[in-house]
Amino acid sequence: MTVAVVLLTLLGSAWLLAVIEDWSATGRLRPAAPMLSGLAHLGRESLVPRKPDRLFFETAPVLLLVVTILGAGVLPLAPDLVIADLATGALFINAALAYVLVALIMAGWGPNGAYAMIGGWRFLGQLIAYAMLIVMPITAVAMRAESLVTTAIVGSQESLWNIVYQPLGFVLFIIAAMALAFRAPFDLPTAEGELAGGVDAEYTGMRLGVLRLARLLLVITLASATTVFYLGGWHGPLLPPWVWSLIKTLAVAALILLAGRHLPRIREADLMGWCWKLGIPLALLNIFVVGLQILVVP
Amino acid sequence: MYAQAFFVAAFGLAAIGFGVAVFRTSSMVRSALALLFSQTAVGCMFLAMQTEFLGVLQIMMMATEMSIMTIFMVMFMMDPGGLGGMDMSHQKRFSIGAGLSAAGAAIAVALLADWGPITAEAPDAAMQTRELGIEMLGRSMLIFETAAVTILTAMIAATAVAIPAHTLADNGNKEVSE
Repeated sequence: MTVAVVLLTLLGSAWLLAVIEDWSATGRLRPAAPMLSGLAHLGRESLVPRKPDRLFFETAPVLLLVVTILGAGVLPLAPDLVIADLATGALFINAALAYVLVALIMAGWGPNGAYAMIGGWRFLGQLIAYAMLIVMPITAVAMRAESLVTTAIVGSQESLWNIVYQPLGFVLFIIAAMALAFRAPFDLPTAEGELAGGVDAEYTGMRLGVLRLARLLLVITLASATTVFYLGGWHGPLLPPWVWSLIKTLAVAALILLAGRHLPRIREADLMGWCWKLGIPLALLNIFVVGLQILVVP
Repeated sequence: MYAQAFFVAAFGLAAIGFGVAVFRTSSMVRSALALLFSQTAVGCMFLAMQTEFLGVLQIMMMATEMSIMTIFMVMFMMDPGGLGGMDMSHQKRFSIGAGLSAAGAAIAVALLADWGPITAEAPDAAMQTRELGIEMLGRSMLIFETAAVTILTAMIAATAVAIPAHTLADNGNKEVSE
């Protein structure tokens, strides 16, 4: 029952996000557009490039979809509305989303295309750098909650949300989340202008449909993770808990998409340099500061 | 109990299967990712054996580590796609012998070693995480710190070696750098 509710919420959020994105791009509110677009993908021919690594080519979109949903499985919408309240929840979401990298390497290598391959290897560098900026802020969040259980992490923010308690961690986490979701300005693996779609380039029809759905769900999962780790999860006045979770998740997702709309794509060398030289020292500083706060202000 | 044994065996067989696949393919990317999924299956064995933290950690670490190995294998092999019919195997009889004796030794250790009394009931996952943390920050801290500093030194050294010497010298003057 819980599984069905969470999955439907995930799909519903993806639909709402797609409608809003379409609205902001075209200026028209078309609630049926995502479904029609999905159906159109099903109807189109799904080409297979010449001499592909067929196994990787077919596996990549499905793997991306599966790991995204697995990641969402440990994030609570309400105190009792979580698929698996694991004792290692905050670690598990990293484990699941680490396979986004594997899926993109497969999608890059599989189709036997130069642009796709460059996109795949680019994402390798990007995610190895930014995975640290996901894990280290979560470490500071777990330090405050004294637990890796996601529901306990939300519980620890009842009096004060983590966005106030550790704002530096929030900023680093949301930047890293955008890099992990490879949305603009971090969309180097797909880079429309220079790589002609990159890892997306060789996918058509149903396979592209699965890939697009997975990317949309990835944004929702990361927005939900931001809500759970920094925005107090289901806490909020008047409205029922799950409504608060949903509002916050959609707001963060909209913020991620909005940032992508107004910021230019970052050069790859700069992206790496900023992460290794600036981001990681700041993330270490964040852990140190939060540690002091915990010791000094009980 | 039987379900647990079944899953441990199933993931174990999957780990061996992917391990065999590593050497059965000529594509470097397939080889590296087969090794990744072999390690993921080992992580799933940990999960089946009720050691949640170790399992999740193994599954997480291997995804990134083996992905890094993929690009190194592609960079350093002359035929990374495996389309040129490259044969990587050599010294076959020696390796078969070495492989079989190593497997025999591992099985012998597993069967003959005194593993002590079997725990009747595993502590719950949260307690395991806590006890693991206390162990690592207590008795085992020196071992882990030594390993960590060694790895860090190796990483810095490898990066330093990888930077071309002339970029370190002023104005790229090669004579100065040499």
